[in-house]
Amino acid sequence: MPAPTITAKSYVLTYVALLALVLITVLVGFLNLGWGSMFVAVTIATIKATLVAAVFMHALVEKKLVWIVIAGALIWFLILMTLTLGDYITRGWVLAGK
Amino acid sequence: MFSPPASMLREHYSTPEQQRETVTVGMWIFLATEVMLFGGLFTAFAVYRMYYTRGFDQGSAEMSILLGSINTAVLLTSSLTMALAIYSAAAGRLLRTYGLLLLTAVIGIAFLAIKFTEYYQHYQQHKVPGVWFESSSPDAGALQLFYVFYFAMTGLHAVHMSIGIALVVFYAFRTAAGRFSSEYYTPLEALGLYWHFVDIVWIFLFAIFYISGLHT
Repeated sequence: MPAPTITAKSYVLTYVALLALVLITVLVGFLNLGWGSMFVAVTIATIKATLVAAVFMHALVEKKLVWIVIAGALIWFLILMTLTLGDYITRGWVLAGK
Repeated sequence: MFSPPASMLREHYSTPEQQRETVTVGMWIFLATEVMLFGGLFTAFAVYRMYYTRGFDQGSAEMSILLGSINTAVLLTSSLTMALAIYSAAAGRLLRTYGLLLLTAVIGIAFLAIKFTEYYQHYQQHKVPGVWFESSSPDAGALQLFYVFYFAMTGLHAVHMSIGIALVVFYAFRTAAGRFSSEYYTPLEALGLYWHFVDIVWIFLFAIFYISGLHT
């Protein structure tokens, strides 16, 4: 079986980057950015999640079939989020009833 | 005594590579269904936070950012030890794999211990919906709803952690029993995928529960 090509050093470097991102997200969290606070928090979380999936779960060196499964999960989750929020966000835009 | 062949190839696979691919893709598909499970909760959270932003921000501000940050670091550390355990298995250093798996389980237990310390603090502060909830805030209703999501989502995550810890211990003992080699450690890879996924879920829980209301 061919061993994954990711080295122990890459794992450690990824870990250090993840810890740095935890520190950054906490520090930025103290700034008052209004609705942007949640946006920045989730954006940094997405970067962290991508690092974990790409390196720790070695998605980066997996076959295309695995990428399709990942893409499927993400696309279906985005459909769920977009359509649901699209409904709730726009409810106030039109007058209900007459 | 049972003595595994080098490749542990089951009869319905042609090659070890095909067997490994099947397990890997199967595990990723399972994780995709987990995205749907947690995704529903995240979507519901997004809707209610949009409607009751003040109450949810207040709830988030009541979280202990210190314990939350420490726990995030603890879980990331367990992901590193898990990744290195599989790396060691690929290199044929099974004794090291065994040690790193046990270490991963211990760090996982530390995560749960910190999490339950937080739960106990919420209980002492009477912030457990349905059991003991008191608040003089004008947004008490929304605040209670925030805690409902908090306990449901971190609780579901803790269930996943508990299953993960049990599996890690189980596979640590199987490693010690000589079931794996540098030729065959596919179950450890599947276990690693699950463990890292649970880590990813926490990364998002940390963002929406602990970070989003820090500024208030």
